[in-house]
Amino acid sequence: MKSGLLALVAGACALAMGASAHADTFKVGVLLPSPVADVGWARQQDLGREAMEKECGPDVKATVVDNVSEGPDAARVMNQMMTGGAKFIVLGSFGYMNDGLRAAKQHPDVDFIHASGYKQTKNFGTFTARNYEGFYLGGMAAAMVTKSNTIGIVAAFAVPEVVAEVDAIGLAVQKVNPDAKVKIIWLNSWFDPPKAQQAARALVSQGADVLFSLHQDTPSVVNVAEAEKVYVVNTSSDMSKYGPHSVLASVTNDWTDYFVEQCKAAREGTFKGADFRGGLAAGTVKMAAWSKDLTEEQMAKIKQAEEDIKSGKQHVFAGPIKDKDGKLRVKEGENLPDPEIFGLNWLVAGLDGSIPK
Amino acid sequence: MTRLPFIIETRTHRRPGFALIAPLVAIVVTVVAGLIIMTALGVPPLRALYFLYAAPLSSLYNFGEVLLKMTPLLLIAQALAIGFRAKVWNIGAEGQLILGAIGGSLLPIWFNDSQSTLMLPVMALIGMVFGMGWASIAAWLRTRFNANEILVTLMLNSIALQLLYYLVSGPLRDPAGFNFPQSALFPDAAMLPVLIEGTRVNASLFVGLAATVLAWFFVERSMMGYRLEVGGTAPSAARYAGFSEAQAVWLSLLIGGAAAGLVGVFEVAGPLGQLQRVVSPGYGFAAIIVAFLGGLNAVGILFAAFFMAIIFVGGDIAQTAAGVPYQVNTVLQGVLLVSYIAARLFVDYRVRRRVPPRAVEAHA
Amino acid sequence: METLTFVLSGTLIAATPLLIAALGELVAEKAGVLNLSIEGMMALGAAIAFITVTTTGSYWLALLTGGLAAVLLAALFAAVVLFALGNQVATGLAVGILGVGLAGLIGKPYDSMTVAPMPRLPIPFLSDLPVVGRGLFDHVALVYVAPIAAVGLWWMFRHSKLGLVLRAAGESPETTHAIGYNVIAVRFLAVLFGGFMAGVAGGFISIASATLWSDGLIAGRGWIVIALVVFGTWRAERVAIGAYLFGFATIGELLVQSTGLAVPSQLLTSIPYIATIAAIALLSMDGRRVRLNAPVSLGRVYRETQ
Repeated sequence: MKSGLLALVAGACALAMGASAHADTFKVGVLLPSPVADVGWARQQDLGREAMEKECGPDVKATVVDNVSEGPDAARVMNQMMTGGAKFIVLGSFGYMNDGLRAAKQHPDVDFIHASGYKQTKNFGTFTARNYEGFYLGGMAAAMVTKSNTIGIVAAFAVPEVVAEVDAIGLAVQKVNPDAKVKIIWLNSWFDPPKAQQAARALVSQGADVLFSLHQDTPSVVNVAEAEKVYVVNTSSDMSKYGPHSVLASVTNDWTDYFVEQCKAAREGTFKGADFRGGLAAGTVKMAAWSKDLTEEQMAKIKQAEEDIKSGKQHVFAGPIKDKDGKLRVKEGENLPDPEIFGLNWLVAGLDGSIPK
Repeated sequence: MTRLPFIIETRTHRRPGFALIAPLVAIVVTVVAGLIIMTALGVPPLRALYFLYAAPLSSLYNFGEVLLKMTPLLLIAQALAIGFRAKVWNIGAEGQLILGAIGGSLLPIWFNDSQSTLMLPVMALIGMVFGMGWASIAAWLRTRFNANEILVTLMLNSIALQLLYYLVSGPLRDPAGFNFPQSALFPDAAMLPVLIEGTRVNASLFVGLAATVLAWFFVERSMMGYRLEVGGTAPSAARYAGFSEAQAVWLSLLIGGAAAGLVGVFEVAGPLGQLQRVVSPGYGFAAIIVAFLGGLNAVGILFAAFFMAIIFVGGDIAQTAAGVPYQVNTVLQGVLLVSYIAARLFVDYRVRRRVPPRAVEAHA
Repeated sequence: METLTFVLSGTLIAATPLLIAALGELVAEKAGVLNLSIEGMMALGAAIAFITVTTTGSYWLALLTGGLAAVLLAALFAAVVLFALGNQVATGLAVGILGVGLAGLIGKPYDSMTVAPMPRLPIPFLSDLPVVGRGLFDHVALVYVAPIAAVGLWWMFRHSKLGLVLRAAGESPETTHAIGYNVIAVRFLAVLFGGFMAGVAGGFISIASATLWSDGLIAGRGWIVIALVVFGTWRAERVAIGAYLFGFATIGELLVQSTGLAVPSQLLTSIPYIATIAAIALLSMDGRRVRLNAPVSLGRVYRETQ
């Protein structure tokens, strides 16, 4: 019985080994915190993965492991990928930071890029999307179309990236329509579709006729907007097919160029662990699904703002900016510097809500 | 109404080694179930077997991962089993673990530059106290209000999670961490030393094994263990054993809370190195399964924890290497426990054919 | 939508699946069986119902298939617990985990897909009332069925022979057996009923409320259902009140946030759980009341003796 089992294991080993014997395949591993679905963060990362397989070079094979929890299991998956020969690893969630840094230190021959991170080393880069730029434009549109002068934001967690988006919306709304109120509900969950829906309904019941769906990976808020006949601006993917009448715009992420560029560098040995923050100008943030209800005049204003942001003429967080307590955070003539944008933990004046502490 | 054609009676006499039948049957059924699912997903059966059950043992790193995964399960399951034998159902190990992680993180966060060798032991102590404290809420509610501990401990899990979120988003957040919801990284003095080079196995393994030995002694050899069990099995007889039901409840929950709290400290002082939003991949619940799989017996639990760890690690490997969905893990765990429980029928009871009653002649 | 409308409507939508599943579990527990696998049964029901709607377009068929899928899972639980005499707590947890895993596995190709919500059935005339009309009377049919089912079960337990037999099986299985009823069969059917209700409740969540399926959709509601039955001291009418209170608590949290009050949101999220513990403590405190209502043999293994 024992020798039979050994033979079985040995045979299985041989099978497994033989199956992956391509010496010149460039292997890439992608870790994602949530399931790859039709839309959402993981989906956009997965599109980047597809691009890598097509354009990074011949014989590039990418493995995606999704729903990797941010705790101790992440390190094991990373290790598995490297044991399987992966030389370039994409860490699709902030929570993989420490395990990723440790793995990068132990394996200097493997290159890593890490989502939303802030520490870089020689073989460890970080990437973040300046979604706040897209939401500034979304905020302008919302302020233009709102008839009830109430705008509602459904946000997942109060992490700096999301707070920056909320603040950008607030600033845009104040500029275009100072009478409009902006209300916020924090879900305290990255994934709870029924709760997101109820939050959306709660905001509608408070009078909101434009909603913002910040980082819900499902069309739950979009569905509610469609049913309640209000507008919605969502994150990550184009969700207009779920809300043909309600989607005002989608702030989508396009990682394809960046992923392919980094993959090529890793493949050719020219990888440098850098901090990439891509916005409208870099094409990482792409506005999609602009609603046909916006008039030509309104679209022109929005497009102008988009051009100004792209060219650098206008900065989303240009002073003077006061926070909710009245403190002046950004002086007139100055812009909020990047480190502070990506560490934002205060709300701009005029927003109706607070940061959960 | 019809009756079943067989009756079930307790086995009074068991052949030695009989008790191994249930776990063996369960393992076989689980292996077969794993094969069926993998084949349905398009993975060749031999590869499936390899990934799920052999690969976890195929390298030093992988074996280390199995040990790393086994330790928390082992530690918590041993403690929970003691309570389960006394019919005190602590379903809140997950929450107690979180509280332990919080408690154990306080010193490294507040004394982030310290090199003191005392840090680790004191952290462990604080974590255990926090875990016990959380469990004692359920104990108090049960003894004072007769509240069902299954439900209370369950609800406390959810509350513990929200507490953790609150703390890492605010009071315990790393001031130099760009406002991300996590604490500062712990100093080296607060980290568990790695035991085996090239793996992540740390000193917690010793604690897990020590706990196994302690549990065995407690249950098999100590007077308190005996009283505890009697108190649970026959509350009316407990008085004669010198143990009130309340004492049994408190003892069981405190032991469980301490163990879970300690595991919480091991997680933050081990693979995590800081306090963050996710401190446990479901150890609290998995440990309950392990406790039952091990027949609520210290040695059985050791084997059950090992096997469960293999399934966990094997599932991860299968996901990475063969694209198998992570739900396969959960399904196999469920199959394992269900088949074990069903197989126990034949160990604990004897099935006998019902003899039809002979026709009785009516007497006038 | 006005605030009051939202509160009424949101409460009903949140409470309905809780109530339906709780009524099912109530029947099972009255008969003496504690089934902790509700989370898994709801998940399986949700996944199967979603798949049915996506493939056939029929919502009622979806609820039926969701219920039946959960019945299969419940049958497994019942078989192990009633025939193999497995420990009810352990088996419940195991089958629950199995159910969640199976649901995720079977539903994987449909993860995060969405469907059009189940068509609503506005009650004529009543739904045109201002404010309360849309809040109370413009819902999916199941929302109206739930309280009716609660009343039906109340009546059944109080006034019908079936109810008496169920209660007897839970209170005193030996006596029930002695007077000629097959306790095992009664419990088996009670558990199957509980499974069906849990499956339908899960289906409601995926095709009427959230209108999507994803792994983790049930998000712990199965445990709240179990708490509900205790909260309601095993009486159908009280379980119903509890379900609507819980539904209100989950909505209340969102409402407080949307008004801008600076209460830590994690505290608000914890409120339903804290409330449950408080309720359990207060209700269990009166030992007499608990003893009067909790099925005496709940959770204990029953064997026929010759």
